[in-house]
Order: sequence, then structure tokens, then C-alpha cells
Amino acid sequence: MLGASLGFGAWGLGFLRRRFLGPILFCVVLAAEAASAAEVVPPKPPAYFNDYANVVSKEKARVLNEKLAQFERETSNQVLVAVFRKMQSDSSIEDYAQRIAQAWGVGQKSQSGGNGVVLLVFIDDRKMSIQVGYGLEGTLPDVTAFDIRSRHINPHFKNGDYEGGLEEGIDLICKAIRGEYRGDGETALEKRRTSGASSGCGPLGFLVMLIVVLVIIRLGRRKGGYGYTGLGGPFVSSGWGSGWSSGSSSSSSSSGGGFSGFSGGGGSFGGGGSSGSW
Amino acid sequence: MKTSLGFGKLLLLVSLFSLTGCGTYNRLVTLEQTVNKKWADVQSVYQRRADLIPNLVSTVAGAANFEKSTLTEVTNARASVGQVKLDPSKAPTDAAELEKFQQAQGQLSTALSRLLVVSENYPQLRATASFQGLQAQLEGTENRISVERNNFNTAVQEYNTALERFPTNMLNKMFGFKARPFFTAAPGAEKAPEVKFDFNKPSPAATP
Repeated sequence: MLGASLGFGAWGLGFLRRRFLGPILFCVVLAAEAASAAEVVPPKPPAYFNDYANVVSKEKARVLNEKLAQFERETSNQVLVAVFRKMQSDSSIEDYAQRIAQAWGVGQKSQSGGNGVVLLVFIDDRKMSIQVGYGLEGTLPDVTAFDIRSRHINPHFKNGDYEGGLEEGIDLICKAIRGEYRGDGETALEKRRTSGASSGCGPLGFLVMLIVVLVIIRLGRRKGGYGYTGLGGPFVSSGWGSGWSSGSSSSSSSSGGGFSGFSGGGGSFGGGGSSGSW
Repeated sequence: MKTSLGFGKLLLLVSLFSLTGCGTYNRLVTLEQTVNKKWADVQSVYQRRADLIPNLVSTVAGAANFEKSTLTEVTNARASVGQVKLDPSKAPTDAAELEKFQQAQGQLSTALSRLLVVSENYPQLRATASFQGLQAQLEGTENRISVERNNFNTAVQEYNTALERFPTNMLNKMFGFKARPFFTAAPGAEKAPEVKFDFNKPSPAATP
């Protein structure tokens, strides 16, 4: 009996190996290949202004972030800025930037497909892109985006003045798209916080929360009593690149008028805007 | 015996239909509508490009001594694009039809990028605001074209997959759903256009 089952087991293994090992190996090889060739779309950033390359002072970054959050409250337009060190793609900046903007879902989907603008800067590649959502192609046409990029941001960047270039660019983008839509005084995230407090916490939400809390407790123990400072703020930076951890410094509470977080609205991007190098 | 077999078949068909029937049909209709919508988007960005061309041609033609052959090529390509008429509200079902459309548009793409490359030789033209504006618009339009083509292909893939899946594939013929062809990458589309400059002609910089 035992022998028979053992024999069967061995046969079963052999069968499994013959049947499935090939495809499994093939899949592994494919996945490895895909990983080496594929591009990396960075995860959705936690803020409106995200400096992963450390070219802007913390203070300035906070001011610009607050400005963009306020802009969404007033106009419902979402303008998101992300500064990275390097592109993680072999594609052109236009294609890569479009895919990133689309993946992050900047802008409210309900406003003609998406009223978002994404300004992406890759310092080491000396490349940047302004991606304009479907809903703003009318107010921020390619010519205007090109003008903002080449005549207003580029001169600053050429002198290494990233802070000045970004500030001027943000101002001009906001100026161009103001007036197209009206906001209702809240960002998407704030809206979700106020309305979703009761409905959003189903059993699944509770379970996820429980797991998160447990994991945090475990992590805390493993660190042997050190406070887990990274969780001080409302958001945990995912550490992409040389992560700009937002909450770890002064704005440790979400209530104290500190840091305004970004939450996308599923906006779509059709390739409008302007891209290039400086 | 004979009748019972027929009855069995009928039963099978009925049960298949009731299993998959309405939901599948509705799903296919939705997917087909999406494909058509994406097709309309593709058409509109191509139209947008075609609309830019008269302006571009007149701006460039105004520049002193601009190479005439490049301009004629663009104008001709624009004309041949206009001749390939496809229904903008319904995605084509015939692969050859789409191929023809794609070929005409591809020719226009090549002619346009050649024009832009040739314009590098005319710094005065490139310095004008109107040319820079047109170039920015043209670049944006090309980006939009590639995005919409991708979106269209994704929609077609989803629809075609739904069609081919069992047991839908047994029903789709009954309702007349047809698979749709994709856009394919044009051979050599990833290469930059080849441009030959004729240096025997007086160069534009030398003329006053």
C-alpha cells in the first residue's frame, strides 16, 4: 500500500515535472527578461510637490505643495509635480511621462476625462515633461505648455536654478488653467476623509487595518524599542529613489495645518502637453 | 433514436444559450461600443494632424528658398490620406482596410518628420514664433496619435478575447459579432527618416 502510494507519488512528481516544469521555467525566464527590459513607473506620490532628487529646499517644497493643494480646493484642478534623478525607461520622455501621468490618475475623471497636469523632471537626464489631462487640453494647449517649458522653465534649469524654474512653471501652469473648472473648497483626499469615514470601513477595510497595525507592532518590536519615526506623518513614503519622507520632520500631525496629501481622481492623459530637454 | 438525438442537441443549445445568453450579449455590445469609441478617438487625432498641415505648409513655404520637394511630399501625403475614407463611427472589420489607412497615415508621418528635419537647415524659419508653435502642436499631435492608437489596440484586444472565449465563440456568429484588426507597428517606424541634402544647390545661408 505504502509502496504503491510512494510509487504513485514518484510518478506524479515525474508527471508534474514533465507537464509543468517546462512552462514554469519558461515563465520564470520570461519574467526575468521582462524585468530587465521593462521600465519602472514610479508609485503614486503622496504629495502635490514631490522632490525625490533633493534639489529644492524642504521649506520651499512645503510652500509649493500647499499652494497646489489650495489650487485644487479652489479650482478642482490637480497639478502634480515630481522631480526625479533618472528616467527608468528606454522609451522617449513623451511616452514615459504619458504612462506615468496615466498611471497616477491625476485629475478628476468627471471633468471631461481628467483635469490634471503633471510636471515631471528628470535631473540627471536633463529632461522634463508637462503632461496635460484630457479635460485641460483646451486651456493649456501644447503651444502654451511648450512656451512655459522652453521660455520660462528652461532658462532657470540651465543655470541650475531648479527651485526658481519649478516655481515659475507651477505659477504659469496654474494661471493658464484657472477658471476652467470650479472647486468646492476641498481636495479629493479631504473629501474622501469627510465622506468616507463611515462607509469606507467595511469588514475588509477593518481586516486590512488590523494587519497593518500588527505589522507595525512587529516591526516596532524588531527594532528594539526605537520609535518608528517614519510613520509620524499622514503618509508613508514608499522610498522610491532617495525618498523624500514627508512626515518624519516637523509636520507630524495631520491636523495641525501641516502637510496636504494628494489623491488622484482617475484622470486620463492623451499625450497632450510638451516634453523635451534643457 | 434520431429524434432523441435532435432533442439532445436542442437541449444543449438552449442550455448553452441560457447559461451565457443575455449577459454575454450585453457584454459584447459594450465592448464593441468601446472599440468604436476608441476608433473615433483615433480618427479625431489623425484629423487634428491633417488640419494642422495647411498652416504648416504655408508657414514653411514663406521661408526663403525652402526645399520644394519636401513640401510637395507633405501636400501629396495629406491628399492621399484624405482619399482613404473610413467610417469614423465604426471600427473597421477588414484588416486590409485598416492596413491601407495606416499606410496612408504612415506616409504622412514620414513626410512630416522629414520636413521637420529639413527645417533644421533654416535657422531663421525655426526662430519664428509661428513655426515653433506649429512644431509644438505637431509634436503634441503625434504623441496623441500614439496614445489613442494604443488605447484602440487595448480595446480591440479585450473585445477579440471576449469573442474567442468559450462558450461565447459558439454564439458570436449567431449575433454577427466580428473580430477587429489591430494597428500594427509600421516597419521602420522606429527609425528616424532619412534625409538627403543636396549640397550642389546654393545653400539657404548663402542667399541674402
